[in-house]
Amino acid sequence: MDNKEFYIGWMPAAPGGLAKHIRKVVVILIMLVITAGIILALQQKKFSTATFEFGQLTEITGIYQQFPVPSIKAMSNLDASGHSSSLTIPLVGYGKSGAEGIIAELEKEKNTTLDKKTVTFRGTLLYSDGKTLLQIDKNDDPLTKISDAVVNVPPAIKELGTVRLTGEILDPKCYFGVMKPGQGKPHRDCAIRCIAGGMSPVFYVRNEKGEANYYLILDAAGKKMNEQLKDIIAEPVSLRARAVQYDDWIVLYIDGMNKITRTGGLSWFKTKDGDTYCGVSHTINVSE
Amino acid sequence: MSASYVAVGWNRQKKIYDWLIAGFCFTYLLLFISVTLIVNEQVTFETLLIRSTSTLAVLLLHVILAIGPLCRLDKKFLPLLYNRRHLGVTMFTFALAHGGFSIFQFHALGNTNPFVSLFISNTNFNSFAAFPFQALGFFALLIFFLMAITSHDFWLHNLSPRVWKTLHMFVYLAYLLVVMHVMLGVIQYENNPVFVIIILAGAVTLITLHLLAGSKERKLDKRKFSLEQEGFMYVCPAEEIEDSRAKIFCIDKERIAVYRHENKLYAIHNVCKHQGGPLGEGKILDGCITCPWHGYQYLPHNGQSPPPFKEKVSTYDVKIIDGKVWLNPVPFPEGTERPGATIK
Ligand code: HEM
Ligand code: FES
Repeated sequence: MDNKEFYIGWMPAAPGGLAKHIRKVVVILIMLVITAGIILALQQKKFSTATFEFGQLTEITGIYQQFPVPSIKAMSNLDASGHSSSLTIPLVGYGKSGAEGIIAELEKEKNTTLDKKTVTFRGTLLYSDGKTLLQIDKNDDPLTKISDAVVNVPPAIKELGTVRLTGEILDPKCYFGVMKPGQGKPHRDCAIRCIAGGMSPVFYVRNEKGEANYYLILDAAGKKMNEQLKDIIAEPVSLRARAVQYDDWIVLYIDGMNKITRTGGLSWFKTKDGDTYCGVSHTINVSE
Repeated sequence: MSASYVAVGWNRQKKIYDWLIAGFCFTYLLLFISVTLIVNEQVTFETLLIRSTSTLAVLLLHVILAIGPLCRLDKKFLPLLYNRRHLGVTMFTFALAHGGFSIFQFHALGNTNPFVSLFISNTNFNSFAAFPFQALGFFALLIFFLMAITSHDFWLHNLSPRVWKTLHMFVYLAYLLVVMHVMLGVIQYENNPVFVIIILAGAVTLITLHLLAGSKERKLDKRKFSLEQEGFMYVCPAEEIEDSRAKIFCIDKERIAVYRHENKLYAIHNVCKHQGGPLGEGKILDGCITCPWHGYQYLPHNGQSPPPFKEKVSTYDVKIIDGKVWLNPVPFPEGTERPGATIK
């Protein structure tokens, strides 16, 4: 830039030498913008195939059960050998709320109880990784049918002993459908809000083969422990619990918060999902 | 130049600048969104929105923070500085879209007011790994908000340049908050080291540029002036100062610009009343010392802006003895007329 060239923004045009320099800068900036856009987009972790059938209502018929979590037990048709299998579909409410509120409202409205009755719910399905959930929303007029009598089809129960697992407590609505990512640190506040809103917490564990297992969480007495879990949601924790299988879900009975410990740690330089969030988990049977 | 914000319209350069900003932002968003949709098609609309706006805002923030030191290192970058506030407001707009949408996505439709939820959901303030990173983003956004709404010269005058400048220095705090917002937030999930490397590379670039610019100025400030006579210091030979230009000298921690105009030398305080631009790096245009940053003008013989503007800077006495320039570092009150020194 020689002495004669001087730039002032209120002039209509920049002097030639300066303009040339700025053109170079603009080219560099364009390249920066393009590289940044592509690299950042490419390097994001893959999103799950979880689906939330937003705007699409489905009717599900099955037995409503209050325990272990509000859910519908839907039976498949008989297969060739005459067996039928069941799928337990936990219910969730609208937004960041669990199903209890709306179930209580429906029971009041119909002046009856729902537990163990055959019902048909209309709601929005969400599913991923072999698990299916149903969102029921007051605005969708969700309870379309209810039987008068209680049906007695007890769940297939199996004691699995005491297990020690490493994983992450997450809210199932976001994880199995609504949000991506629906787990981990970026999603943490939302998971806390959902679980505080009554959503049944789910424990997510990755095994050595990289497959995910999911568990429901209750306290030793079989009651919800949403409130106590608040501070350890969406981060790696280790827990020790009595595991009991109810049909297609395993319930972890956790005898107090001292049975859950943070495994913690920052993940700035870890590259494997296994190490980063859930660690290697092992299901060991130990006698108490 | 109190009324400059009225006087300066949307000239051709401003238009080019704004079109370039718009073009860059559009290109970035288009690329980020389409590449994500192609290679990671399971993405949700919400996440695309949250991530494309946030990363664009951070990219803009780096450019904004680099412009200052680049201009101090090389005046050729000055055209980028003139409308930097447009970049700032653009950055804030994208950050707001990101923050606002995140608050909706992660906090709305729950059992608490979303803004309360932002602060009471994650309360692990004593854990580094589990730290509530969203609150960090919120405070950064608050700083950007204050900067964006006060970016107009109207506020500069009403808050006084000193307060305004101090407020705008908080951008560095905001930058730090954003870095931690990302490092303790999404990077805790994205276990891909590329993101850490990008953040670090950005920080290292900015720190290096600031250090280089600082050391260049420190050299200038450190120069010792040992020859003194009746309060005047010897600063340089008269022919070293080019016509219509100045040299800056730092005496007793005050920077003084000595200008040459029509065969005379005049000395004024180096600090522009607008945003503290270095007047000595400007030039005389139409008989006025013109600030290189945004073009405020001052008359060389009295340090006053030509009417109707009202800015005034301090003036100093200079004299020339045997072709040598002597400068008296004791300032005269702002706007005091001084005779200058004639070059033989
Ligand atoms: C109220 C203010 C803010 C809130 C609530 C907020 C919230 C969030 C959340 C929840 C994430 C993780 C999103 C994900 O799952 O990908 C995130 C990421 C991020 N935030 Fe913010 N943020 C705020 C302000 C800011 C500001 C001011 C900036 C910088 C200009 C910023 C830059 C980023 C970046 C670069 C990321 C990583 C990329 C991404 O995941 O979007 N945020 N923020
Ligand atoms: S600092 Fe803006 S014109 Fe001088």
